[in-house]
Amino acid sequence: MFDAFFFQQVINGLSQGLVYALMAIGFTLIFGVLNVVNFAHGELYMLGAFAGLLVIQAFAPPLFVVLLLVVAVGLVSGVLLERIAFRPLRRFADEASLKSKAIREATLLSSLAISIVVRELVSNLFGSNMQTIPQQYLLMTPITLGPLTFASGQFVIFGFALAMLLALQWFLFYTRSGLSVRAVASNLTGALHVGIDIQRTIVLTFMLGAALGAVSGFLVGLYTGNIFPAMGFGAGIKAFVAMVMGGLNSIPGAIVCALILGLSESIATEYIPQGWADLISYGLLLLTLLFFPNGIFGGRRERV
Amino acid sequence: MNAFNKYSYLMLLLPLPALAYADSGYAWRVATTALIFILLAASANLLTGVSGLMSLGHGAIYGLGAYASALLSTQCGLGAWLALPLAGAAASLIGFLVTLPTLRLVSIYFAVATLGIGEIIYVTLLNWVDLTRGPMGITDIPTLGGGGQGAIFWETLAITLACLYLIHRVMHSYYGNALRALREDDQCIQALGLSPFRLKSQVLLVSYFFAGIAGALWAHTTGYIAPDSFKFDQSVLILAMVVVGGLGSLPGAIIGAILLIALPEVLRPIGDYRMFTVGLILFLTILFRPKGLWPEAAALKLVRGWWGLREGWK
Repeated sequence: MFDAFFFQQVINGLSQGLVYALMAIGFTLIFGVLNVVNFAHGELYMLGAFAGLLVIQAFAPPLFVVLLLVVAVGLVSGVLLERIAFRPLRRFADEASLKSKAIREATLLSSLAISIVVRELVSNLFGSNMQTIPQQYLLMTPITLGPLTFASGQFVIFGFALAMLLALQWFLFYTRSGLSVRAVASNLTGALHVGIDIQRTIVLTFMLGAALGAVSGFLVGLYTGNIFPAMGFGAGIKAFVAMVMGGLNSIPGAIVCALILGLSESIATEYIPQGWADLISYGLLLLTLLFFPNGIFGGRRERV
Repeated sequence: MNAFNKYSYLMLLLPLPALAYADSGYAWRVATTALIFILLAASANLLTGVSGLMSLGHGAIYGLGAYASALLSTQCGLGAWLALPLAGAAASLIGFLVTLPTLRLVSIYFAVATLGIGEIIYVTLLNWVDLTRGPMGITDIPTLGGGGQGAIFWETLAITLACLYLIHRVMHSYYGNALRALREDDQCIQALGLSPFRLKSQVLLVSYFFAGIAGALWAHTTGYIAPDSFKFDQSVLILAMVVVGGLGSLPGAIIGAILLIALPEVLRPIGDYRMFTVGLILFLTILFRPKGLWPEAAALKLVRGWWGLREGWK
């Protein structure tokens, strides 16, 4: 039986999942390396969207140029975030203190505080309402294939997510900097002993994660047409859920779980009212934490 | 820190004459809100500061109390004074049952799980329109007693002081010390023959009870509640109060609550920078004064000094 409406819901769910996945990639990268939750990741996502919007409103360049500028904003804000919220609290460079409970909670609180400051600042500067995006930039051109309708943004986001995943895997496994990122993630003391510059690697990780967050915020903003200061919170929570389900340090795991999340939310709206569908992701988060403490795709890190 | 003695607590009562002198509806209103948040911060401090269970969903438990009290008094016709303790019990029980599954998690995993729980409660309050009237909120909630804003303030003050006394007795007892040991090392607590799970459950019940009372006070002093007052922002605000005041320190929680409620009111002319100020204060505290404004050690020293234990405490 081929039910076009149901199939359309599946497509929408998968593209929603890709949106979460884009965000989860950067989130997982930072968590996997440093073992700290970056609560300000949603604000990086929001900043990327606003930076893109400002550039469009000021110069209206081609989309490609806007993307490059958004990446630049992401890189810079990643460095700033690390410098302001994470480095001052990382007082000792040994592994035990980096992974201690106290430093995790302190950085959780500091990134939470920074995220509030940034969000409130932006919403006071630009107003908390949705921003209007020039029509020609919206990625909402409908593309009809038989009984199904796609938006052009779905293809862009899918292509971007795939490219990012492949590029990131290539970077992490085949380049020198990527290898040092993985070395720091797996054993900090060992990385120190073989002469890896820990500070530089951590900054690099933040830059990468932040740039990914910023670009995904911009693309999602163009796809959904919603750019507003509080947009980062919901997406950040969903990305976090995907990261936990995926096993915390596995980027492919986070992507698969983000797709599952988007799909289950989209299918759930078939059977339950829209407002209640938000419960699905929180329910999945609790179930995962309870029954798969290492994530569904088996992270090897000790967690509970 | 020798300057602190038992009269330092009394210094916290200094604003009262000024308040009575000003006698304006606005001043009473702000002071009542501050009292409610003092109670909330004290209850969150018991959970987050003393027992080390960082909660990012405390605002939702507060909402449970507010809704329980509002529903009991408008739907079941109970008086406000009867609805108050019942709402505390309801928030405590429901909150405990929802948090129960996450009790095996530690540190940031517990924090994130409670964030999820807070959102679950918020979404439920927002969408269960038959019971909670959804986004419209509940109106016409009876107030505590007769009289104007001033009378409401004095009643809230009495209830808050009574609750603070109870929280104080829990925190500064052998039981409180067991909770502090649990925060530092739960394996150590097991070695002493105490059950971490049991301690965590008990402290959840106690802390949620007082958060529920605070919610009920909010419902009965404003007369109107809506789900928007119990969002994630409120949980962050409560956590900020606890962290700014000093984790594990009751006077710290009181000072943090007063500071974070009063400061945005004082700074009102500069516009809508309320949460911005909260975030900035939270960040600066974590960076420059990580133990808080009135750290736990000083608070404990003060309290132990009252019982003549200062000699043995260096």
